[in-house]
Order: sequence, then C-alpha cells, then structure tokens
Amino acid sequence: MKILVAVKQVAALDEDFEIRADGRDVEEDFLIRDLNEWDDFSLEEAVKIKEAASEPVEVVAVSVGPEEVDESLRKCLAKGADRAVRIWDAAVEGSDSIAIARILAAAAKREAPNLLFAGVQSSDQSFASTGIAVAGLLGWPHAAVVSALTYSPGAKTAVLRRELEGGLLHEVEIQCPAVLTIQLGINTPRYASLRSIKQAAAKPIEVLSLADVGLNTGAVGEAGSLSRVRRMYIPERGRAQIIEGDAAAQAARLAEIIREFKGASA
Amino acid sequence: MSGILVIAEQRRGELRPISLELVGAAIGLERAGEEVAVAILSDSPDRFVSPLSVSGVDEIVTVKTASPEFDPDAFESAVGALIAARTPDIVLAAHSVDSFGYAAALATRLGLGFATDVFKAERIDGELVATRGGYGQKVNVEVDFPGRAAVLLCIRGNVFKPPEQSAAPRVTSFEAPPVMSRSKGREFIELSAGDDVDMTAAEFILTIGRGIGEESKVPQFRELADAVGATLGCSRPIADAGWLPKSRQVGQSGKTASACKLYIAMGVSGAIQHLAGMKHVGTIVAVNTDAEASIFGVAKYGIVGDIFEVADELRKLF
Amino acid sequence: MSRTDAVTRILFEAFGKAEVRLFYLIGYAAIAVFFYGVYVQVRKYRRGAALKLDGGLWKRLGDMVSAVLSHRTIDRRDRGAGGAHRLIFYGFMLLFAGTATITLEYDILEPLFGIRFWYGEFYLVFSLVLDVAGVALIAGLLYMMYRRGWMRLPKLDYARPDRVPGDPDFNRPQYRREDWAFLWILLIIGVTGYVLEAARLVWLQDRADIWDTRWWSPVGAAMADGLRALGLSAHAGGELRHGLWWFHGLIALALIALIPFTKVKHIFTAAASLMVRDPLAAQRLPRVPESQAEAGAAKITDFNWKQLLNLDACTKCGRCHEACPARAVGAPLSPRDVILSLREFAKATLESGEVPKAAELDIHGKAPGQVAMETLWSCRTCMACVEICPVAVEHVPIIVQMRRKLVEDGAMDPLLTKTLQTIHKTGNSFGESKRKRGSWSKALPFPVKDARKEPVDVLWFVGDYASFDPRNQKVSQLFATLLREAGVDFGILYDGESNAGNDVRRVGEEGLYEVLATANVNALSSASFKSIVTTDPHSFNTIRNEYPDFGGKYEIQHYTTLLKQSFAEGRLRVANPLKYRVTFHDPCHLGRFNKGYEAPRELLALLGCELVEMGRCRANSFCCGAGGGRIWIPDPVGAEKPAQNRIKEAAAIPGLEVYVVSCPKDLTMFEDAVKTTGNEGKFVVKELIELVREATVARTVAAVSA
Repeated sequence: MKILVAVKQVAALDEDFEIRADGRDVEEDFLIRDLNEWDDFSLEEAVKIKEAASEPVEVVAVSVGPEEVDESLRKCLAKGADRAVRIWDAAVEGSDSIAIARILAAAAKREAPNLLFAGVQSSDQSFASTGIAVAGLLGWPHAAVVSALTYSPGAKTAVLRRELEGGLLHEVEIQCPAVLTIQLGINTPRYASLRSIKQAAAKPIEVLSLADVGLNTGAVGEAGSLSRVRRMYIPERGRAQIIEGDAAAQAARLAEIIREFKGASA
Repeated sequence: MSGILVIAEQRRGELRPISLELVGAAIGLERAGEEVAVAILSDSPDRFVSPLSVSGVDEIVTVKTASPEFDPDAFESAVGALIAARTPDIVLAAHSVDSFGYAAALATRLGLGFATDVFKAERIDGELVATRGGYGQKVNVEVDFPGRAAVLLCIRGNVFKPPEQSAAPRVTSFEAPPVMSRSKGREFIELSAGDDVDMTAAEFILTIGRGIGEESKVPQFRELADAVGATLGCSRPIADAGWLPKSRQVGQSGKTASACKLYIAMGVSGAIQHLAGMKHVGTIVAVNTDAEASIFGVAKYGIVGDIFEVADELRKLF
Repeated sequence: MSRTDAVTRILFEAFGKAEVRLFYLIGYAAIAVFFYGVYVQVRKYRRGAALKLDGGLWKRLGDMVSAVLSHRTIDRRDRGAGGAHRLIFYGFMLLFAGTATITLEYDILEPLFGIRFWYGEFYLVFSLVLDVAGVALIAGLLYMMYRRGWMRLPKLDYARPDRVPGDPDFNRPQYRREDWAFLWILLIIGVTGYVLEAARLVWLQDRADIWDTRWWSPVGAAMADGLRALGLSAHAGGELRHGLWWFHGLIALALIALIPFTKVKHIFTAAASLMVRDPLAAQRLPRVPESQAEAGAAKITDFNWKQLLNLDACTKCGRCHEACPARAVGAPLSPRDVILSLREFAKATLESGEVPKAAELDIHGKAPGQVAMETLWSCRTCMACVEICPVAVEHVPIIVQMRRKLVEDGAMDPLLTKTLQTIHKTGNSFGESKRKRGSWSKALPFPVKDARKEPVDVLWFVGDYASFDPRNQKVSQLFATLLREAGVDFGILYDGESNAGNDVRRVGEEGLYEVLATANVNALSSASFKSIVTTDPHSFNTIRNEYPDFGGKYEIQHYTTLLKQSFAEGRLRVANPLKYRVTFHDPCHLGRFNKGYEAPRELLALLGCELVEMGRCRANSFCCGAGGGRIWIPDPVGAEKPAQNRIKEAAAIPGLEVYVVSCPKDLTMFEDAVKTTGNEGKFVVKELIELVREATVARTVAAVSA
C-alpha cells in the first residue's frame, strides 16, 4: 500500500525585499525557502497511517523544483517518508499551480498510490488549487480541507471531516483511491532532529525529468498554465494611526478609545 | 462567449452571504449588454430564489442536485454542464471551502482561465485582469488569461459589496446531467465545545495571538478583558495549542466577529485567515512589537510596543 | 631488655590453635567476599560505554589524594560535616593503618624475614596514636548522628520531587536504615575497641610491663580503672576480652566484606570518581561520535563507565539537591534523585551474570529507577549541582545526554520544538530575518565596522538577545559607545553571526548545535581579529570551551574583563562616581562555569558603588532560570519562577537601589520578576554596562548664569 504526499518548498520574503527588474516576481536573493507548513501535517498524517498499519505502507514524498528543493525532501525523509522523488526541467519555470498539478499527476500515474495527500494551500502563493487539480487530471475522488481522517490501509473508503468556515465540520465518506488536501491542526507533526535529517541523506532522492514522467514541455510552464503573472507590486499599505509614547501613554490613549466606545454604545 | 455566471453558495438551508458579494463583483465586471446569471445548486433550489432576487441579477438558474449539501462530483459535473451550455466568458465562484473541493478540477478539465483568492478584477484593454496576493499576502499579483475563452475566478469574501436593493430577475431551471457521486456527505458537527461564548454576538472583543508567548500568560489577558469589559478572543495558534477553547477563535475557520464594533488585537500578526474574521470591524486597535505586522494594514489605530507593558498599564486604568 | 623495650601486645594471646585458624578462615572469607563484590561492581562499570580519559594518570592521582586529604570538597557549605568527616576519616585511616601495620609484621615480615618492630617505644607511641584516632572517630560519628537525627537539615530530607506519594519508589526507607546502620556499626566497632582494650588491661593487670605502661592507651586505661572499680576481676576481664575480641573482630570483618555492597563503598568510589573528574564537565559537553547509531542515552549501558562510577560515588549528601534552582521552586527535578534513580536502575540490571535485553534497560519513564521527561526538561543546566558535589558527580552531562534521546524522539514542549525550528531556519531564536541582526547598530551616531569585510582588533560576538531583544539592544548600543570611547578597534559579524548554540546544545539538539557551531567557526575563521569580546555569557562559554572541538580556538573575553582593562589602562575614566547601593548577580555561565567572579566586582568598586552581596553569591549564585533552553519552555502556570525566588532574596537587602546583572537573559528574566514580585519602585535591575556608561559620562553642568 502506498501513500503519495505532494510537498512544496515555499518562499518567504526577507527584509527589505525588492521586485525583479521585469516586475513579475521578487528578486531571488530575498527569498527564504522552507517546507510548506501544510505539508508538515499531510506528511505526518501519512506517516501515522503507516505506523498504525499492520501491513507495510510506503510513504513517498514528491515535489516539483530545482536542486534546492532536496533540502525539504530530506526533511520529509527524516520525518518518516520512505522515498522521495523530485521532478524538474527548466521548462517548468513560469508554471502556475495547474501546470505543476500536471507534473504531479504524471508522477502519480507512475507511482500508482492508494492515497494522494497535498496541503490545502501553500503559505506563499495560497492558490489552494494544486491538490484538487491533480485529482481532476487523475479522475479520482477528492475532498479538500480535511481536518480529520479515518482510513485503514487498502480499504475501499475513508471517512473524513472537512473543516468549513465558522468552526463547522462536515463528515464525509469517500471512495478510495482518493486525493485529499490536508488542513493544519489535523495532527501534531513530529520534530525531525537535525541528526535525523542528516542521516536521511542516506535515503536516495530520485530525480526525474519531464520525459521520465511522460510529459512534454508544452504541458508545463506558461503553456500549461491557466493564468499568467502580468505584474507583481508592493501594495500601498492601509495606514493605521500610530499611537506614540511610552507604554503608559499608549495605554492611556487606548483607554480613551475604549471609554469613547462604551459611552457611544451606552 | 458572453455573460457572467455566478455560482451561489448555500449551506444547511441558508444562502451564504458571499453569494451576494459575487453579484456585486459581477456588476463591476459586466460590459454593456452583458447579463449576470446566478446559479444555485441544491436539492430544493427554489427556496433560494427570493434571497437571490437582488438588483444586478438578470437571471436565476436553479439546478436540482441529489444532495442538499455540497458534493464535489455533483458540483463539478453540474457547473461544468452549465458552462458548456451557457458559454459565459466569466464564471465567479467563492474562494471558499466548498470551492476548494471542485473548482480547480473543473477549470483544469475544461481548460478555463483560473485564479483563486481574487480581491480585484477588471478589464484592462479588453483583457480580464485579476489581482490576488503573493508571498504570504505581502505583494499584489496581477494575473491574466491569454488565449482562454472563459475564465473561472474564485473571489475572496468580505471584499465586494453586495447589492442592497431587491429586484425581480427571471428564474429558469437547468437540468444537470446525472452523476455518480464518489463521496457521501454525512452529518455536520458544531465545534463550540469549551464554553458557550458567542463571538459572533460580541460587540467589544480583545483578541490575543502568538505574541503572548506561553500559556501562563493567558490569565493576565483574560483578566484584562474582564476589566475593560471585552470578550476574550484568540487567533488560530492559541486555539490549536489548546490554551483557549476553539469557540474563542476568530478567523476564517473560527468565528466571524459579525457584531463587533471595537476590536483590540494584542500580539496578533494579522494572517489573512484571521483578518477574514475581523477586518470589517469599525474600530480596530492593533498592539504588536513588529511595526511591519500585517494587522496594522487593517487597523485604525496602531501601537508598536510590548503587549505585556501596554496590558499592564491598561489594567491600571480600569 | 628493659621493661619498656619488651612491651608489646601478644596477638591471639590465650587463643587455641583452632580458634586462630577459624579466625583466619573467616578473615579470608571476608576478603574473598570483598573481592567478589568489587568484581561485580567493576563488571557493572565495564558494561557501560567506553571512554578515554585525558590528562596524565599520575597528575589525576595526585589531585585526588590532595582533595581527599584536605577534605576541601566536604568542607564546602557545611563546615560541620567537613570537620566531623575529617575526624572520622583520619580516625578510621589511622586505625586501619594500625591494623595493617600489625598484620604486616605478624603475617609477613616476622614469619618470612624474622623482622620485628612492633614493641617497646614504638609500640607505646603507636598505642597512643591509635587511642587518639579512636576518640576522633567516635567524636566524628557522634556529631554525624546528632546532625542526622536532630539538626533536621533540609538537604538530608529524602522526600523527592520527581515522584508522588503512592509511587513504589517514592519513599526510600532503605536509605535511612542504611545511613543509621553504617553510623552505628562504626560506633560499635570503635566503642568495643576501647572496651576490649580495657578488658585486656584488667585481664593482664598483673603483668607489670603492661599495667605500668597502660596510660599510653589513655582511654583504655581509664576504662580499665573504671571496670576494676565496678568489681571486674582479672579472670572476668579475660572472659570479657575473649568474647569482645570475637564480637569486635566479626563485625569489623563483616564490614569489610560488605564494603562493595553498601554505602561503605564510597570510600573507593568517591576517591575514584574524584580521580576521573572532568573539571570542564558541564562547560564542555561531549560530542556525539559519528559512528554512534543513536544520539543520546536511552539505555543504562549508553552511559560510559565513568558515569556509572559517578552513580555509585554519590553519598546522598544532598548538596546538589539544596543548590538546584529548579528544585527550589518546586519543579520535579532533584539532581540527587536523578543520580540515585539511575544508580538503583544500574544495580537492578547490571549486577547479575547476564545483561538483560535492551528493552529492559530503558532509563526513560516513570517506573522505579527511571527518569521522567518532566524531570529532565526542568533542568536549567546551571551546574550548581556539579560545582558543589564533593565527590565529583557530573549530573549535567548525564541529563543532557538523556535529553538528546528525548529530542530525537521529538518528546519536547511544542514551544521548544518551534524555537529549534526557528533557530534552524533563521539562525536566531526570535525568528527575525538574518539581515536584521545588526540593525540595532543603525541607531548609533557612528558606524560599527563589519568584521567580515575589514580586519579589526576586537571582534564583538553580540548574541541573539543582545541583537534582537529591544531592552537588550539598548545595552548593546551603550556597549558600542563605551568601546568607542575606550578607543577599541572593534567590529561585529552582522548577518554572519548565528546563535552561538550554547543553549541549543544543552537542550540536547546536538545536530543543530553542530550546524550553528560550524557556521560560526567558518564566519570567525574568515574574519581577521586579535581577540573576541562578548556581552553574552552563554556565547562566552561555548566559544571558549566548546568551539575548539569544532576547529575554532580563539582568545575570548567577557566584556567585564575588557572594560576592567580599559579602566586600568586609563582609556576609560570615571567622570562621576555612582554612589548606589547595589548587589551583583553572578551569571551562571560567567561565574560558576568560567570562574569569572572578580572582574564585575572590581568594576563596581571602580564605579564607586557600595556592593552588598546576597547570601547565594559567587559559586553559589542562584540561576535566573533561563538556562538549558528553559527560556524557550513555558513555566507551569502559578508556580514560582527561579527569577522570582532570586529577586525576593535581593529584596531582603535593606536600602538596595540597583540589582546588577551582566547577562542579557538575566536582564530580561529579572526585570520581569521585579514586576511580578511586586518590587517595582523599590529597586531597579541594571546591566553593568549601563552603570559603566552612567559613570563615564560627565554630568552636564548647569549653564553658568551670566
């Protein structure tokens, strides 16, 4: 039984970042990379299923990206993934989440897992689309924003809960194999000590090209995307009126605001 | 290809407010002579005709589905058929949990232009341009859809104004093709375990976030909230850690501070999911050590300082 | 021969040959049991991991002998115990040496070589010395009985904070039984020795050479007179002597046989422990060898032989229990009980013929002999325990090695997990961008050199708190100003500096520590400087003592030394003396860890402050509670924090104006504690740098009116 976990190495912005000359992205230098927060949870969920199972379950982490992504894949291996696969080709540049999904779907066809997990969204671009787009391409049953999951390896169905707006949960029974996008808080991701990450270097990361997963360059990049970035810019920030002074002065002004409000609503 | 198709949302027999916000967005996008149609999917869609009868809506399309609630296969099939039959050039859906469940699959299958969490949409030189956030909402990104005949946009909630006036649009029905659903919705579960505070009714809220550091600091703020007469709320990390019950969480997957008029956020950075629950509040005061925190972008007043010091000083005054 | 020449004690006088043979048989049996016991103990130690000691064995032996003979480690913080133990030790040693001397002549020299010396004047002086030794022994024992039974010392209270009533090993009545049994047996041996002596004198009163010289054994002689006065006849004396001889002999032989099985073994284990001590045990933690499969101590056999020996050296004196700041505020940690639990565990598992399976050797948990997670995480790694232990038990490395296992398993408070991940990502515990590390210097009216780009004389290793915490940033700015005033050519590493790693290592995340240390050593090695100065004692400790293991050996000073030098060389001058009444809190990592007690005090004196010491000062300074990663672990709600306990101690000083610290974590912890203990307005917490700056700035003179 195999669970494929699609992970993304996201980029956060460093201090005083700058927009690239072509105006369509941030300067590379100011990007700090790390494993997507949601993927900690989806990977942990897969490893939990593996550890609770009486039969062998293989957890495979897959990601699309250049060599630096290996660092995040190694973290996944340290946290309990058995294998890792990375797909990259220069043509992938400029892909939106849908083009990435095409690559992940091709990898999924190659791996033939019983379950495919992805995070609900990534902390950088928050498309919240990739996982479900993969499901569409595979033609698999799917559910998004899963905050609780009950599944026995190899079973025909799984029972899950979708986390809806406003603190409501919706329980659903879904046929398997299925694609599930996993929400924060579904479990407590384990800590991967640096030693275990270093030791995970012994587990290999398979690097594949587009051809290896049966895709041509027309399926990815801008050609394979459903949107295109025209312009990226730093927005005008809403301006809050800053209350100056030391803590006592600030608190005094705040107390005034509170009393005004209470007076108005009295 | 013409016309704007809005996919309304309902849950447990109630029309979700974002449905009307989508109409507001559609009105902003429609060209002369273009029609705005709103589709509603439900096992008894007729009951939503009245709340959907607002100005700007030219047609309400009722689609009968097998289940009263959201089902990914049913929605993907029905909306796909609607698009194929009616050939709108823009489809507006909510950027919501339900949409997460099917929109990307649908767009991929039909080859639609696609963008999510869109908070601004306009036509520039005849081309549809949508604006969304990037890099954790720190930048704005304009996207377009070259060569796409139709575009599906998932619109962010609490951004577009819903139309206020009622109207009398024509009502048609659409027969969705039969579909084999591969998932079965069961029950809804309310998560208000913990205490019975109703954040949605509170007029004055004091929210604490990650900035408080550790659980042992919570009593101090609980006491402060009591002293100033506010209801104590929290952001997601606090509820996830179990320091306060989930019923006190304000945000997208928590509660919306619907009745709130004064909101004090202490040690809250302003993640987009939290903002979704409170940025509409009339008077927001943010207290944070980080002058760059996103919360200051929606706050009316800002205090850049140590939340414990400010809390101490404020306590003395009540 | 004169009468005094001939006087001696005839051994086994009036004993039958069978009796003597029986005695020797029992004697050999006792010795055999003793050696068997030693074999079992040594076999237990050898079942631990290997360890190579550094330093010459002769030097170690010399240091140990000097420590033991001077008794300086037992004197510390308990002069009474020190004095009484000296009496017991020297008394016992002399008596033992006496017996050995007799045996030497009787069993070896005389039969083999015909040499005799134990007679005449030698014999008489010998008898006197041993009588005095016996008095010393008994006096020492009586004091110890009084100390244990009546003084009710808290450190002798065996109540343990890491178990609750109801746990099978909560009460340890066997400890108390053993303690008293030991005292009583020694006392009985001592007292019966005198009565035996007296009885013999009564028995042999008719032998002039013996009776006339009896006052060379004053106690025995006095008792003999007493016994005679009570009507004891010579014959009865003989009977008494015979019986007592066996009684005394058997108990003494039993004691010898039981040495390796009871607390009496501390005679050897304590000495051995002192001999194999690592004076930098807590300051320089051991690396995890690459070859080792698992990091950290999961099984009792993961400890090395020295650590297993440490466990046996412990004499339950309770000094570590008393000194521990975690225990003082009610945390479930007593260093004494960690050692004793592990000792019992080792005894239960490693003293039989076969070593049990690995699953039975797990030392983590709540079963008897195991150590719980909460206990291990309570430790502040302040090394108060290691520093005060009279027998050189090294508690801190044991705790850290057990923490390494917890880290591998992810068994940590979520806040700590997050902090470690943050440090890994951004190189600092605040989660701030690396680029902001030097931002505090932008507020200064002069530029601070970038030591990555140009050579400097002094490289200032700033540290996380001093770089990112707003309160400490102000102190950094003042220090930069002072350096400039003193004409020091200095620079900082800006983004090239990462968290020095001292606390990451003590949390047990050795892998992350290696990453940090390697990064810093690389940054330092690419820079050009003569020495390093730091305002952070934690960074000071790890750079000075641990970085050499990672290829980085540098000359490093804490700022107090550099400032002191600047004053001494006239580069800084006191423009207005501060007349504050102050107290000084010795930071753990500067004071206890690196013996840096004097420089801050000399500075305070230079500044004109009146220093009033707290009771727990210098080596006994009471940790602020932030060490060992505890600043990243939430404190239990409602419990007293070590910093509060410490501030209350300071608040008892009448007229105290300033509580002086010289560590950024101390500044943070104590300012918070002053507020939460209700001492705001009574005295302030100031960094020594702030006082130095205050004193070196000339007071602006009011404008002279026209």
